[in-house]
Amino acid sequence: MPASKINQQQPAGRKFGLPHILLTLGLGILLCGEAYCGYRLHALSSQRKQLKEDYSTINNITFGVFSVDQWRDKIAVIVNGQVHDFKITPEQKKALQAEVEQALHGLVHKTITTINKPQTTFAGKLKKFAFNKFVDTDQVQALVPSFARTIINKVNSPASKKRLKDIATGKINQLKKETYDSTATASDTVTKYMYHKYHVSTAKQFDQQINSQIASIRTTSFDHLFAMLGSILIVLGIWWLLRNQYHLKATLYVMSLLFAFVLITVGITTSIIEVDARIKTVNFALLGQKVTFENQVLFFQSKSVSGIVLTLLHQPKADAVLVGILILVFIILFPVLRLVFTGVHILAGKEFAENKVVKYFAFQSGKWSMADVMIVGVLMTYIGLNGILESQLSNLNIHNSFLTTITENNSSLQAGYYVFVAFVLYSLILTTIIKKITPYVTRGAFNK
Amino acid sequence: MAKKAAAPGVKKFNPSKLLLILGLGVLLCGEAYFGYRLHTLSNQQEQLKEDYSNLNNITFGLFSVEQWRDKVADIVNHQVKHFTMSPKQKQELQVEVQQIILALIDKAEALVNKKPKTLGGKIKKLAVKTFVNTDKIKAQVPEFAKTIIAKIDNPHNKTKLSTLALGKFKQAQQSGSLDSTITANDSVTQKMYAKYNVSTPDGFNNKLTASLAEIRAATYDYSFAMLGCVVVVLLLWWLFRKRVELHATLFIMSLLFAFILLAIGLTASMIEVDARIKSLDFVLLGEHVVFKNQVLFFQSKSILDVVKVLVRQPQLDSILVGILILVFSILFPVMKLSSTGIHLLSKRKIAENRFIKYFAFQSGKWSMADVIVIAILMTYIGLNGLLESQLANLNVKSDYLTIITTNNTALQPGYIIFISFVLYGLVLSTILKNITPYDSH
Repeated sequence: MPASKINQQQPAGRKFGLPHILLTLGLGILLCGEAYCGYRLHALSSQRKQLKEDYSTINNITFGVFSVDQWRDKIAVIVNGQVHDFKITPEQKKALQAEVEQALHGLVHKTITTINKPQTTFAGKLKKFAFNKFVDTDQVQALVPSFARTIINKVNSPASKKRLKDIATGKINQLKKETYDSTATASDTVTKYMYHKYHVSTAKQFDQQINSQIASIRTTSFDHLFAMLGSILIVLGIWWLLRNQYHLKATLYVMSLLFAFVLITVGITTSIIEVDARIKTVNFALLGQKVTFENQVLFFQSKSVSGIVLTLLHQPKADAVLVGILILVFIILFPVLRLVFTGVHILAGKEFAENKVVKYFAFQSGKWSMADVMIVGVLMTYIGLNGILESQLSNLNIHNSFLTTITENNSSLQAGYYVFVAFVLYSLILTTIIKKITPYVTRGAFNK
Repeated sequence: MAKKAAAPGVKKFNPSKLLLILGLGVLLCGEAYFGYRLHTLSNQQEQLKEDYSNLNNITFGLFSVEQWRDKVADIVNHQVKHFTMSPKQKQELQVEVQQIILALIDKAEALVNKKPKTLGGKIKKLAVKTFVNTDKIKAQVPEFAKTIIAKIDNPHNKTKLSTLALGKFKQAQQSGSLDSTITANDSVTQKMYAKYNVSTPDGFNNKLTASLAEIRAATYDYSFAMLGCVVVVLLLWWLFRKRVELHATLFIMSLLFAFILLAIGLTASMIEVDARIKSLDFVLLGEHVVFKNQVLFFQSKSILDVVKVLVRQPQLDSILVGILILVFSILFPVMKLSSTGIHLLSKRKIAENRFIKYFAFQSGKWSMADVIVIAILMTYIGLNGLLESQLANLNVKSDYLTIITTNNTALQPGYIIFISFVLYGLVLSTILKNITPYDSH
């Protein structure tokens, strides 16, 4: 250990002169700037989450492809259209004619056989005689086609057609009333609530409103993210500039710690991964008409580290709660404590600074603070989840002559992840710095 | 000072050491047995879940021809039997029939009124003219039409028609393609029923749910027993914290416990993913159609299974993640445990090798990456109740809505075992740091 350096630093660290005040003031302003950007970033991220959640709720597949009401309405429109445009083509007319003729022939034949049955009563016998005398059955049969034509012409007349269509439409509407599920009321409530919330009145306006808001949030949140990272870079630049000013280092270190705390606060409360799987379009032809469902959200989820911990802690099962506690301790508590104790170590007097607990946390607890593991873990989860979603969704992609479905996976890493990465790198640099500037022996106490 | 006392201790064999080895050996066998049982139970559970999800799968429910056949039969029956026309429709239909009858009468009249050429024809015309009063017939037309419509609309005929329609429908069922799917499904179902000695779907589900619950309880018991063994080992450390000569033996034995934990933690199922369509409930043409609990996915996965799934994905990055999980869950832990052993037992030069030291003291926390991955996956995939919670906020009942839920996704004992392994490993490396004769940094 360079003992001479230690002795020089010792008194310098205690004095608080003009350069200290200037440094504190300057960094304090920068810190306020960082905190403001962090606050805005957090607010924007939760706003984005809210928007996307609302969008996903209203466009959920439950209210689309899974809704019988939707299908009913789409099919009813098609069938009504078919009835309305119904025309008898010449071939159909011919076929119908043949059908009616056959029926009439059957009718005539049946009548004749009934009359020709052996009669017992006198009146019957007389009728039979008169019938055979006057009516030529062949002639009657020969008249059948012309009667059939009369019937068909009658049915095909505009007035009749209109009547028959009215009857068919009435019946279809009746069937329509007999087909329903419970999406209508739920969907109505949700839609009304959302439209009211966003002051829109149509689905199209709603989509536009949400999309434009999300786009604007995206650009501003990136600006704030860069501003935060920029302020961290400035702090590191100051370290480089003041690398020979030993008396300022304690002040500078404590201020740097405050920057780190802002980073981790924003990093754990801002969402890290957004998972968004949807069916973009379902397209198929029914009775020659196109049926389309658009933007069916299968799945949406956006969470921050603190959100993950809270979700786990709120589970009824003990093991999930345990995991939540572990993540809280190793990923949030230990990294923070580690930085706090380095601060304590550098500010406090020798006795306190050499305290076993303080030193353990400041220098030995790296094994237990797993913010860096979290970074790798989140990245692995993101890539793995993305891969599984992609392959599951690609199974749903169908392209053939009847049906076309296009799926979409919009999962992405969010600002919170980048802030968290920045925190981990920054705290790594800080712990390296503290090892260099500490006036006391930092390790080896156990063995030497 | 630890070094001097411990180094000769390894060489000399004293009764207390033998006793320690024997005692810990018994405990180790106990742990291994619990681990083995846990492993078999977890395999059994995986099998049961697969069977359950196979039989409750959407292909046997919503997508099953057989299920729809019965429902469609009901619908046809309902529609034919309850075919009703509103008064307005009836009236319009009557007008239509009247028009046709009138047209026919006109036509017949015209035919008769044509100038007959033969004598017979003339007599016929005369006879018709005298006997048949067309106006009277025309006046009766509305009555006729009404009778015809009443005939169609009467209940007896409707029953007759519905039997006819159902007959036709049954005939359609016999067609080949339908039959083949039904027999395929039937044979699967029958096999499953035979396997579990049940005869109804409800019986099957009840039996499987019951045995799954039983297995779940048993696996938890075994995993707690395993953890108990580990806690005993840690207690021994505390008891013997002053007996420096026993530390090396105790440490090696502790490593063996860690290996068993790792083996079980990797192979026992650690997450149960359960995605299903909770209910599909609607009225179709007047018939209530209900499908409940349509299983889309219901499986348990161990870490190794997760790795397999990821490695089999087509994308390069998923394969990379699979390999990373493998590295953090197998390579690092094994290296770590071996390194701690090597560090403690071998000569100073090897023991102070940077590589060995990194793995012995620093690598432990990286296994936590797997724990984190599973935890995040769990919160993202498993506890997805976005729509339901939103609906609950709006006071909308979601019981009858068609929603994909994954709410029953849960962590499994394998996960607890793996976490215990990671923590136990971290504690062991802290212990090692205190007992090592060499520099640990």
